[in-house]
Amino acid sequence: MTYNIRLAGVGGQGIITAGNIISEAAMRSGQKVIMSEIHGLSQRGGSVTVDVRIGDYYGPIISESSCDLVIGLELIETFRAIESFENVGTALMNTEKINPISLSMHRKEYPRFEDLMEKYGMGTKIYPVEAGEMAMEAGSSKAVNVVMIGVALGLNIFPMNADDVVYVLKDTFPGKKLGINMKALELGIAWSGLMKTNIHDSSHKEAHLL
Amino acid sequence: MIYMTDLIQFTESKIEKKPIFLLGNEAIARGAVEAGIEFASSYPGTPSSEVGNTLSLVADKLGIKFLYSVNEKVALESAFAASISGMRSLVFMKHVGLNVASDPFVSIVYTGTRGGLVIMTADDPSMFSSQNEQDNRHYADLAHIPMIEPSNPQEAKDFVKAAFEISEKYHIPVLFRTTTRVSHMRGPVNDGEIPKIKGTRKVFERDPKRFVSLPVNAIGLKKMLMEKLGEIAVESDMSFMNSTPSNMVSEIGAITSGSGYNSLMDAVTSHSIDMDILKIGFTNPLPERRISEFLRQHDKVVIVEELDPYMEEKIRAIAQINEIRTRIYGKLDGYFPLSYELNPDAVLQSLARILSIPGYIQGKSPKTESDLPPRPPVLCPGCPHRGTYYVVKRSVRMSNIKNPIYASDIGCYSLGTYEPFDEADTLISMGSSIGVANGFSMVTDQKVIAFIGDSTFYHSGIPPLINAVHNNLDMLVIIMDNGTTAMTGQQPNPGNDLDYNGKPVTGIPIENVVRGIGIGNVSVIDPYDLKASFVTINRALHQTGVSVIISRRECAIIRDRKLHKNGEIEIYTVNQDKCGKCMNCVENFSCPALFIENSEIQINPSICDGCGVCAETLVCPFNAIEVKK
Repeated sequence: MTYNIRLAGVGGQGIITAGNIISEAAMRSGQKVIMSEIHGLSQRGGSVTVDVRIGDYYGPIISESSCDLVIGLELIETFRAIESFENVGTALMNTEKINPISLSMHRKEYPRFEDLMEKYGMGTKIYPVEAGEMAMEAGSSKAVNVVMIGVALGLNIFPMNADDVVYVLKDTFPGKKLGINMKALELGIAWSGLMKTNIHDSSHKEAHLL
Repeated sequence: MIYMTDLIQFTESKIEKKPIFLLGNEAIARGAVEAGIEFASSYPGTPSSEVGNTLSLVADKLGIKFLYSVNEKVALESAFAASISGMRSLVFMKHVGLNVASDPFVSIVYTGTRGGLVIMTADDPSMFSSQNEQDNRHYADLAHIPMIEPSNPQEAKDFVKAAFEISEKYHIPVLFRTTTRVSHMRGPVNDGEIPKIKGTRKVFERDPKRFVSLPVNAIGLKKMLMEKLGEIAVESDMSFMNSTPSNMVSEIGAITSGSGYNSLMDAVTSHSIDMDILKIGFTNPLPERRISEFLRQHDKVVIVEELDPYMEEKIRAIAQINEIRTRIYGKLDGYFPLSYELNPDAVLQSLARILSIPGYIQGKSPKTESDLPPRPPVLCPGCPHRGTYYVVKRSVRMSNIKNPIYASDIGCYSLGTYEPFDEADTLISMGSSIGVANGFSMVTDQKVIAFIGDSTFYHSGIPPLINAVHNNLDMLVIIMDNGTTAMTGQQPNPGNDLDYNGKPVTGIPIENVVRGIGIGNVSVIDPYDLKASFVTINRALHQTGVSVIISRRECAIIRDRKLHKNGEIEIYTVNQDKCGKCMNCVENFSCPALFIENSEIQINPSICDGCGVCAETLVCPFNAIEVKK
């Protein structure tokens, strides 16, 4: 089995941490993993991507032709990640907006969610997730990365199980932070449970748009 | 956070979690530790920085003497001294760092070494964080130094150990070359034993005929070096680092190395292309016998390597000397690109042309450029450089200076080249801001303003400043002192009173250095205080001769860490009743926390770091930006 994941977001959102958690959990479940992290010029605020490749791969670069899963921690960055492949299996998208200064500097506003969806979201199964609210509920806005991992687990599209992720969280976060991240994971998983029920109940067309 | 896990893995083996998930650079540090290094030195540079970040966590515990040096040249010279005093030593830097260290680099290969000396250099194909994509493999030829190249973290660890063995066996330094994709690739690594090192002081045994490279000695050393290299060529032919990972079944072969190997393997396995592979890890001297054998066994051989046709030229020469008529494909005949890193898609496209595989030859239709709003790297929220650039631009405009020349340098403040600041006209190499300013001052009548960071100033900004003072030149040098080497991950520099481990060292104040050179016009500003900075910069812009302004304020990331530790950060918000919508804050100050929504300026509370600079009248004339209650 092979599985390629691209994590995308803005520097400072915990993308590398998320990549590490996913990779270590996949390793614990007995799979071969490689991960690529490119450290660009800016410590915070620039586009950041991390690629995780599970399976018998040699190099960290995902082929442009297809990616199984995009996890986006920011709206525009999710679409940017989707756009960089010809085919994306599933995209999980935190609906949080972080304004690129390239917009405000020219008196422009962040594009509307619906407009972005219409223009860039066609042909990919996208799950918009209000991960920011769940992270706050868990105790810290910084926990969006773990909420999104929970969502992926809950949707059963992750080639690993929750126990492996929990093990890695315990290994990664100390004391109070562990509690916040465990809660974030649970909320993400629960969100997916609810989503699956909804999809089951709604028409096929709507389900695909979700 | 992963570092903490690794720290445990480094020092204790009680946790059963093998293999460890290591970054290529962490694996190099691990390999060096397993090889029993007693000394390590570096100047930080991406993509090599994590070797130092990792060592800094374990060096003291393990008894390794590790330090960040003022620059790469001093780092290498120190490591050389440790080596000829009998210690295994590691020195590491980014690719252009070796340019700085190249002077001693070439000559210590002549003199040779005692304790193993490995010089690690990380190239940056596709220039993710560098000014060029120079191929440092050419340094191996230039200096006649053995070179080793890993493809993944496991090899990085294993090959570093082998590099120390070779260095010690032949008393020669070894060049260990990675690329970004190897240094920044994380993968499973099986760890090995960490030897107990003695950590005792050494006694240097003198041998001036070797270590004093005056012509009288160097002339003999050159001949010995070439003989040594002949012996090492035999070693390369037998080395486990050169391998044929698959069975030999095809008439088509590929010779490859480093990251190119990974892209080739991913391309051929995913498309079931039958091809024999000769993977080279010992890339200087090349394993000539193995290569000529491999060439004879195949009708066609493809050379898959990144950047320059380094191996290809040599392999074509090997074929010519040995009268082998195998058809060789590579970069010289246009099948592979001469620029940028290889990826599986690019390799597949080249293979398709060579092997006439239909369907892939054209490659995919070129992607249309995305019209999503770009998000280039930016100065962090709270970054002191934002205040400096903002106020310099204002001062220059207010002083009615036409055509100023902004000579910039390497560091976070390089981002001042972007909108809205646009305050960089040149940016070449470490320290070049002041060097270039020397020339501009001599040949133009324009006002020359040089921007340089504290770490870069210590690294190579001092000699050009001496040159400027000595020659009575005119320039304003703005030293942006954030107290750290920020861009590579907050490593310490000679301005600090504490080293990476919190041990006291002697901080060297920049003002002492510049006053010592004889510069009288020296002022210090706080870039969080725009008004006072504005007054000082205005005054300096009207001075003649060399003026220095030290713009001093702690790096925002370090400040944030402290504030988070000590409690809540005070953040700011826009009072919409007061906001005059002049848009100055978003257009000209452009902190990433500021944005426009429903035609109102807002501050993103999760991004604001509470520096409060946007609230100053010089940014917000309506005083509409207030502390959030």
